[in-house]
Amino acid sequence: MRKYTQTEFPDVHGSTCEAQFVSPTELSAYIDKELPAWKRHLIRRHLKKCATCANQVQRLQHTDDFLRRSGEIKVPADFLSGVMEHVSAATKYQRPYDSLWSLITYRIGSSFGWTRYTSTLTDRLRYSIRTRSPVYIFVLTFAVFTMVGATLYQSSSDRFGPAMHALKKTQKLDGEKLISFEVIQHEPPKRLLTTYLQQK
Amino acid sequence: MFVSDEDLMVKCGKGDMSAFELLVRRYQNPLINYIHRSIDDYQRAEDLSQETFLRVFKSANRYEPTASFKSWLYTIATNLCRNEIRDRTRRNTYFFEDMVEEGEDVYHADIMRDTRYLPDLLLEKKEQRQIIRKALAQLPENQRAALTLVTYQDLRYEDVAKILGCSVGAVKTLIHRARQKMRKLLIKAGIAE
Repeated sequence: MRKYTQTEFPDVHGSTCEAQFVSPTELSAYIDKELPAWKRHLIRRHLKKCATCANQVQRLQHTDDFLRRSGEIKVPADFLSGVMEHVSAATKYQRPYDSLWSLITYRIGSSFGWTRYTSTLTDRLRYSIRTRSPVYIFVLTFAVFTMVGATLYQSSSDRFGPAMHALKKTQKLDGEKLISFEVIQHEPPKRLLTTYLQQK
Repeated sequence: MFVSDEDLMVKCGKGDMSAFELLVRRYQNPLINYIHRSIDDYQRAEDLSQETFLRVFKSANRYEPTASFKSWLYTIATNLCRNEIRDRTRRNTYFFEDMVEEGEDVYHADIMRDTRYLPDLLLEKKEQRQIIRKALAQLPENQRAALTLVTYQDLRYEDVAKILGCSVGAVKTLIHRARQKMRKLLIKAGIAE
């Protein structure tokens, strides 16, 4: 378990745990039974030895007891009837669809008996985002990768495209030069020989 | 046979009004108390509770049984409370000092019928409850919501984290700070040692 420094251990009365074994936040969670069993066991053992922490727990529990004494207010007798009235008034004017698309999906869904399609497309999308559904995450990741890929591909062709074209052109030119050089190389010896003979 | 909240919500989504009525009966008391503790105004707490149930009914067909109904209900209620507090701050109106404690009166009248308590003790208890409620109202919004949900509604830290939209670690810290602050306020008011 992590040990806490004294500055992390604020206390109302200024006292601190000498062993610095448990953080006050964990003591609060201990009261609410929100810690795993092994941690609860360790804290229980520590509380038997450490008077400061035991005192802290006692004080927190005392505050909790006070809070529970604040009492509860009673629900008015006509509350339920009021809610049901509101609900029946709302259902009276409620449409199962609120756009053309939802009307179409509603018609299709109801004809096939798919109750899930009674909700609109925007509602379903909002629900997918909220629940982080795997299909939604896959589609989103695919879309992002495609967009990034397309952008990179385009930019690389923009960046290297002209250079590549220039390179191809020079290669062509070199080929042409080579051919002409071969032609020149074959002819001169004949000319040279004839001129030499003529000179003689 | 006990029917779970989630099953009732599914039935409600199919238009079963009796299922919805049963849900309202189950949660009307804890919900109105939660909202009352959050905004500290009895009349508005009643209105907001009705609004919460209405929203639950309207979005019943979108409800998926994988999510806990209790968390969902308190999420709606918490959002409504936040809006109410924001509107109140915008209007610059504070109810805590000179509000009419109608809810308190209902509870007090109920105790008065109980002859086991002496009048002095009753007054003391009433005063104590008011101090606790005022101290609770002085807590920051998130700390109050977290403490109320854990102490009074018996929700797990995980559910509270979902409702408040934060991590479980943040909820732990919020609750601890709320308890420390409550303790200070109660000591200041003279009802705790």
